[in-house]
Amino acid sequence: MIATAFIASSLVPMETEEAQIARGLRRRDPELLDALIEQYQHRLLRYLLHLTGNRAVAEDLFQEVWMRVLEKGHLYDGRNRFVTWLMSIGHNVAIDYLRKRSPASLDEMQDPEEGAPFEPPAHGPSPFDEAVEHQQQERFNEALQQVPPLFREVLVLRFQEQMKLEEIAKLIHIPLATVKTRIYRGVLALKPLIKGAAQ
Amino acid sequence: MTNHDHERATELIARRGTEELAAADVGWLESHLSACGPCTQYAQDFDNTGRLLRATAITATPALVAATQARVRARAMHLAEQRSRMVLVAISFCLGALSSAVSALLWWRFGSWIAERFGWSPAIVQPGIMLALVLPAIVIAGLMLAFPRPSIEGPLMSALVREREGRNQ
Repeated sequence: MIATAFIASSLVPMETEEAQIARGLRRRDPELLDALIEQYQHRLLRYLLHLTGNRAVAEDLFQEVWMRVLEKGHLYDGRNRFVTWLMSIGHNVAIDYLRKRSPASLDEMQDPEEGAPFEPPAHGPSPFDEAVEHQQQERFNEALQQVPPLFREVLVLRFQEQMKLEEIAKLIHIPLATVKTRIYRGVLALKPLIKGAAQ
Repeated sequence: MTNHDHERATELIARRGTEELAAADVGWLESHLSACGPCTQYAQDFDNTGRLLRATAITATPALVAATQARVRARAMHLAEQRSRMVLVAISFCLGALSSAVSALLWWRFGSWIAERFGWSPAIVQPGIMLALVLPAIVIAGLMLAFPRPSIEGPLMSALVREREGRNQ
């Protein structure tokens, strides 16, 4: 929204938002980058947090992603949605990080020493509701962290980012059929964990 | 009901909500779900997962955003400076190469004239003069490679981060 306002006030009106972002990134326009960071801060952090399961790591990767956006901005051609391109950089940065942590497969790359995954801020109309909701969210997040990262990633992209299956496939460089399978398996893998957490 | 029907149903379940399904697909899915227990259960699990995931509130802190913006700005400035420096280096290189070629030609002729004037061998005088010309440049290049200029990115970035954090407080 902020980036949209920035673009609307400063650039040619006939161009699409993506094309304008691409042009700004080629120029390494600091105002545009500031606006994009503001606009996509929560979505990117949420994605990285779900992928890594650790807030401190996710915050480091968040900064790394924006540095890559600055340096590789000329590669964004504006033909796809900016958020898809941004998340694909986030995906690559997270994968690089996870590979460095352990050369084994991505499924085995969860660090058991990192403790509770993250603390979502609770909200609700009363302190009681707030506490119950907070507890439920914590349980759900803990359950989510037990799902293999490959499945967790597609679930986050599908449900939180509301991405189409084709967009997810493009973003993480896998066939469409694999996206469908991972969503299906992810939902099934999460089901007993949610039930277990609720008990 | 075939496996293909179940596959089609799970795909349509995954697509609905983010994509506009054709009326025929919506109708087919509804009739399939009314007759298929496992797919109905999956649709419920799917919606439940989505509801729980969307309820998770994760936000970036203003300090993180400010620090990221400061880092990105500092890096952008550094890259811009590096780029303009590269342009200057390229121009200097071209001018240097041109003037070196012209002066080398003149010094070569001067060597020939000296050799002729004093009766020395041009095969020794001319390369000797050329070597004397390029030797200082070789020495300076070696020194520059051995002691590169320190980068300004570190202090500049810290200053920008401090400035940003100060502004947000």
